Amino acid sequence: MWRFHRHTEMSAFSEIEARNKSTRLVSALDQALSALSRHNSALLLFLVFCVVGVVGLFEIRDLQTANSEANNMYVVSVHGLRQIGELQYDAQETRRATLYALTTSDSNLQVEYADQTRDADQRVTRGIAEYKRQAKRPEELALADRLSRDWASYLSIRDIVLASILEGSTKEAVDQDLSVGVPSFERVRRDLTEVDRLYDDRASQSLANVAATSRRSAVKLIGILGFTFSLAGAAIWAIQRSKMLSAIQLAKLQMEFVASVSHELRTPLAAMSLAADNITDGLIEDKEQVRKYGAVIQNQSRQMAGLIDEILLFASTEDRRNRYVLRPLQVSQIVDAAVAWANGLIQGTGFVLEQNIEADLPLVLGDLTAISQCLQNLIGNAVKYGGESRWIGLHAFTAASASGAGRELRISVSDRGIGIDASELTEIFAPFYRSPRIGNLQIHGTGLGLSLAKRIAEGLGGKISVVSELSVGSTFTLHLPTAEGEAPEMTVVAPQSRPQTEV
Amino acid sequence: MARIISLLIVLGLAVLLLAAVARETAHSAEPPKPAESLAYQPLAIIVNRSNTVNGVTMAELRKLFLGERGHWSDGHRVTLVMREPGEPERQTILRDVCQMDENDFKNHFLHGLFTGEILVSPKILDTPTGVRKFVFNVPGAIGYLRQTDVDATVKVLRINEALPEDPGYKLHVEVPSAY
Repeated sequence: MWRFHRHTEMSAFSEIEARNKSTRLVSALDQALSALSRHNSALLLFLVFCVVGVVGLFEIRDLQTANSEANNMYVVSVHGLRQIGELQYDAQETRRATLYALTTSDSNLQVEYADQTRDADQRVTRGIAEYKRQAKRPEELALADRLSRDWASYLSIRDIVLASILEGSTKEAVDQDLSVGVPSFERVRRDLTEVDRLYDDRASQSLANVAATSRRSAVKLIGILGFTFSLAGAAIWAIQRSKMLSAIQLAKLQMEFVASVSHELRTPLAAMSLAADNITDGLIEDKEQVRKYGAVIQNQSRQMAGLIDEILLFASTEDRRNRYVLRPLQVSQIVDAAVAWANGLIQGTGFVLEQNIEADLPLVLGDLTAISQCLQNLIGNAVKYGGESRWIGLHAFTAASASGAGRELRISVSDRGIGIDASELTEIFAPFYRSPRIGNLQIHGTGLGLSLAKRIAEGLGGKISVVSELSVGSTFTLHLPTAEGEAPEMTVVAPQSRPQTEV
Repeated sequence: MARIISLLIVLGLAVLLLAAVARETAHSAEPPKPAESLAYQPLAIIVNRSNTVNGVTMAELRKLFLGERGHWSDGHRVTLVMREPGEPERQTILRDVCQMDENDFKNHFLHGLFTGEILVSPKILDTPTGVRKFVFNVPGAIGYLRQTDVDATVKVLRINEALPEDPGYKLHVEVPSAY
């Protein structure tokens, strides 16, 4: 009647399964956020650096583009318009100096004016060549060609007019200038006006480009800042949530722990209380019955003491400052201790312990008490869940380390019992976890054994792996580092939360 | 006594006069200081680079400089370019080509312009650079420059088949030259 009954109906089983699934999801999120929360500062700093770097790169690129556009605008608008202004002035100067020569009959002055007009026309010719060199668009190239032709045409008539003036044929010079020179220069003037207009167009286009670049830059900046704030907000939310979930998880574990411990302690206590009441009330009279009830009280008190020991041990491994004294151990020491304990456990139960210990096994680095506790938990589980076959296999051997660095010692404990469902293989190492199926089979336990074994293994720098199949059996393997090249004795801080869990 | 004194005075004056004359004679017998002497440099006849004529004879050159030929063979009007009166180059042209003095040359052109035989009077330029630039600007111009003033902007004509640097070249201008 004091047997442990947790759930007996199928509806309750489904409810528990659903609850376990949601628990698994929450646990996964919780683990991820907990991992993040351990690196809050570094994460935030990294995020800030990343965002500042990205913002900086974008802004530098935009500034370069804006600078390039501004330079382009300067060349096109300011420099270009200044050039065309000079070109127009020099063209007028060419014509003006030619006509000045008409105003005098002094050949010396006329020669000076001829010099002036030739100097000016050379500047115009150079300016047109420069414009032609800078022209890129087809309309600019065509205009440059036309301007060059029209200017050459004007210069040829200018030479004729100039020669006539110097010869003294003033009337002839005026006639030639009016009939050919004026229309020719008018064509040049129109070409220069067109060049001016194109420069204006290009300047307007450049201005529009600069404005567009500026707008793009502003939009990008706003977008990036928005993204940065969003990211920072998300980071803060994630950190806060991870802290909250950690607190909730801790509270939940504590509640579960208290509930489970209370339940586990109450069962033997109830049995002892009932037996004591029966004896006190005088319901038990003959010696045989007294012995029987005494044995009940003895067994239940031992079970209770064992439970309390296990809880205390779990609490001690929970303490992250827990230290193990690592020293090289003979595998035979470990195996002998485990076998001695197992023999005491299985005595009279009909269980068979089959040993398979490889010869010449290397020394292993560990704490004998801790390893023994770990193996006791595994062997205890094999007895509890070993089913009707009543067989336990103990196998010690070496194999290549999973990390690839040398070899490791493996001690496996096998049974041919009820096995574990594949979906539960990741859950069985969680503290207080008990499969609903186990509850149905009315097998006692706190759900701390495997969790404890895992913590111990990881504290020793090893791990526990499991291979199992329903109704076939399970094999739990303890992986321990060998003592090759290690100092005879050393103290290490137990890493409680090693990420690797091979199940 | 008075006669003697008078005679002595006359003799003294005569001696002084002779000494003065002797001194003057001796002074004038000194060679002139060769501060500078005259040298000769070829005088190039130049035309516009577009002119197709490459050389002329002295007779043809005379006609050109006296305005007796109005146009070149390519149709351009002949425009005479002269330096100002008194310039050595002008003197060389008047002496060796026109074979006239300044007055004859002026009268010749006054008469020619008046009668219409000459179309354009010569253009007078102050400097060799002015001459060169004028000839450069006017296709039918003809002028003259010292060989050292000539550059690639104008063309030098052969005179009687000779260029200024050739040995038999006829036209030279006097230029001052220091020892």
